[in-house]
Amino acid sequence: MRRLQAAFENLSIPVFATLLGLTVSSFFILAANLNPLDAYSRLFCEGFGSTGCESFSDLFFVDIVNEETGATEWHFALFYGDKGHALAVVLEQATPLILTALAATVAFKAGMFSIGMDGQFALGATVAVFLGYWLPAQVYALFGVADPETASTALLWFMRLTMPTIAIAAAMLVGALYSLLAGVLKVRLNVNELISTIILNAIAVQFVTFLLNGPMRADFNNIARTERIDDTAWLVPFTRGFLADVNWFSGSRLGVGIVLALIAGVLVWYYLWRTTRGYEQRMTQGAQSFAQYGGIPTGRAILRAMFISGALSGLAGAIQILGVERRMVDGFVLSGTGFDGVLVAILARESVVALFFVAVLFSGLQLGAINLQFGNIPRQLGGLIIAFIILFTSMENLFREWLTKIRLRLGNLRTSPPLDPPTEDPAPTTGGD
Amino acid sequence: MLMWIQKYSRPLQIALTVIGVVLLVWLLAVLPRSVIQSSVRLATPFILGALAALLASRAGVLNLAIEGKMLLGAFLGVVVLYQPDLATGGAVINPLWGVLAATIAGGILGLVFAVLYLQIRINLVILALALNLMVAEGTVYFMRVRFGAFGTLAHPSITGLPTLNIPLIQDIPFIGTLLSGYNVIVYLSWLMVLLIWVVLYRTQFGRHIRAVGENKAAAESVGINVTRVQIFALTLSGMLAGMAGAFLSLGVLSQFLENMTAGRGWIALTVAIFAINRPLPAFLTALFFGLAEALALYMGRIPEVPIPPNLLQMFPQVATLGALILVALRVRGSETLKRRTFAREFGAELDKLKQMVAPSKQPTHPTGD
Repeated sequence: MRRLQAAFENLSIPVFATLLGLTVSSFFILAANLNPLDAYSRLFCEGFGSTGCESFSDLFFVDIVNEETGATEWHFALFYGDKGHALAVVLEQATPLILTALAATVAFKAGMFSIGMDGQFALGATVAVFLGYWLPAQVYALFGVADPETASTALLWFMRLTMPTIAIAAAMLVGALYSLLAGVLKVRLNVNELISTIILNAIAVQFVTFLLNGPMRADFNNIARTERIDDTAWLVPFTRGFLADVNWFSGSRLGVGIVLALIAGVLVWYYLWRTTRGYEQRMTQGAQSFAQYGGIPTGRAILRAMFISGALSGLAGAIQILGVERRMVDGFVLSGTGFDGVLVAILARESVVALFFVAVLFSGLQLGAINLQFGNIPRQLGGLIIAFIILFTSMENLFREWLTKIRLRLGNLRTSPPLDPPTEDPAPTTGGD
Repeated sequence: MLMWIQKYSRPLQIALTVIGVVLLVWLLAVLPRSVIQSSVRLATPFILGALAALLASRAGVLNLAIEGKMLLGAFLGVVVLYQPDLATGGAVINPLWGVLAATIAGGILGLVFAVLYLQIRINLVILALALNLMVAEGTVYFMRVRFGAFGTLAHPSITGLPTLNIPLIQDIPFIGTLLSGYNVIVYLSWLMVLLIWVVLYRTQFGRHIRAVGENKAAAESVGINVTRVQIFALTLSGMLAGMAGAFLSLGVLSQFLENMTAGRGWIALTVAIFAINRPLPAFLTALFFGLAEALALYMGRIPEVPIPPNLLQMFPQVATLGALILVALRVRGSETLKRRTFAREFGAELDKLKQMVAPSKQPTHPTGD
């Protein structure tokens, strides 16, 4: 019973914080002389709704007029995928976010507040795009294939398997090494990881922009861009691949990336909560000196966490290039995917499971705010809502105090059964799994 | 390598200082006056930001929201001056009011930050990130919603701060161009360095700040109201950051750009760390960073130097990273030095004590941290 109550509390606080964040943000909509409810219904429809979504209720059921019979029929909005569903696009955008949020979670869980995901993401993407167009060309040259159209099927299949694998692996390695830099600085020299990763991000962004405008620039297009990656290195989206006739996905570039992100999530969860090394790094986060006296090599645990974190960010960059963008365009590195991942990890309170839902909510809010055609509301509304939700989520302690007070008052009113002895019920683990 | 640097930290420090001075003199002699002036100008937000950072750090709070406070100051400084009815008889407001508004706005945000952190006990880093995000998005939002501006808020009624020449000093041949010919915030920032120094080292409030930063519990035990001192320090810190923001929007361009601080708040934080939270070294470090930025701009303009602009813009960042590493080595070196001095003076007694306590079994201390 108390376990249920604890679960209810754990769930109610984020929900309350979200509602509070939306309420406070509605003042910003009022400042634009618009009706917040209408704006929000548009925002959520654009972000999460299916075709024909007009109001809040349409998020669950949509009424569609059948063009042949003229009759109105209703559908579950979630499964109604005619002309594509906004959630497919949201999932496409959430994929790199999930990975960078996983990266942030792994780093946080070693007590490292690293926000270097942006730099690692940029470098990983750069490596992936370079290998994506350079390596296949080398392979074609090696096998004496002048025109990729004439290549043998066996060679093409071999390349379709190896090229993305190599590109992803290299991107992960580069991201991991770049992240390790901040880890080494922390472990050896006690340099504040937050500041060092911010600087490393800036350096990576400038360096990648230099590469993009210099050696890797493909043509004299107005906006600098690289060559397109070879088709064999392309992680083909569902709509072009084996789910081509499922309408739900149409309009999105959702693909193998989301599967990889799910696998990565499971692996990270297993590593953090079911292995000795994960235990070591969680211990390092909880109480570093205690862990040290207990014989845990905390330095090594931090380095390992940073390595994994960087690899995940690099993977995010590689997937964004190989699965979605297929070439790097100027401005790609400023997308802020890494920093958004940090915010997602904070909102999910470092829980691997919650992170998936938060990432989807996050992308949905952003997509909805971008597509919001309502008055003159700019897309920054999405960021504002997120900032307020983060603020209110982090006020957890205050809300818990309030809850306790309310419960005490209620408990005084009625004769409640005696509380369980404290030894039997350990404190509910928040954000564990 | 590390050990070597730690062993010779003192001579190394002197050597680096000498190299720095020589380099500085050489640069002053070689570079055109405009670059030197612009480097002093570009150093101003770093000076004010670093003062803000060190004031908070001295009170025991790492002020990670400086970026947001700067941006808010930059925005509100411009907003206060905005007069849509300029053509129909509205008067141009003195930009000094903008500076004042920016300072107050920064102070208010600092106060909010302090109350949320100290009273409601929100995680410092998360709070700072949320506030920074809020200001970054909120400024762009209001710029569009209230002023209908996309990315840039400029208007004839928004005028920049005028350049002031100091009467006597500007006639001195070399120093004149160095010390004179800036706007009021530049002079104000120099004044602030002295003021903060006086406040920190010569007033009771400053002593309380330093006591709180050194050891919160000890300060509390002698009757200092720790929370109040920290709230005051953070508010002052916010005011300085707001003033830095006003310099960016009113002192350089007389307009507001989307995300115009562009990471300067974070660099200011590094400047403070590099100067180990002391005002005068922070001033010099900020000047160096200003010089680095001005050099990057200057070298991007002259076509004889074939360096791509992005690599030049990388230069201050790499310098910052190098500075961070140097600081860490320095802090570590001074710790080693302290430990050695301690061992030299009290080593014999310590050994005696150790033998008395447990001659057989010594708990081994873990190494590395």
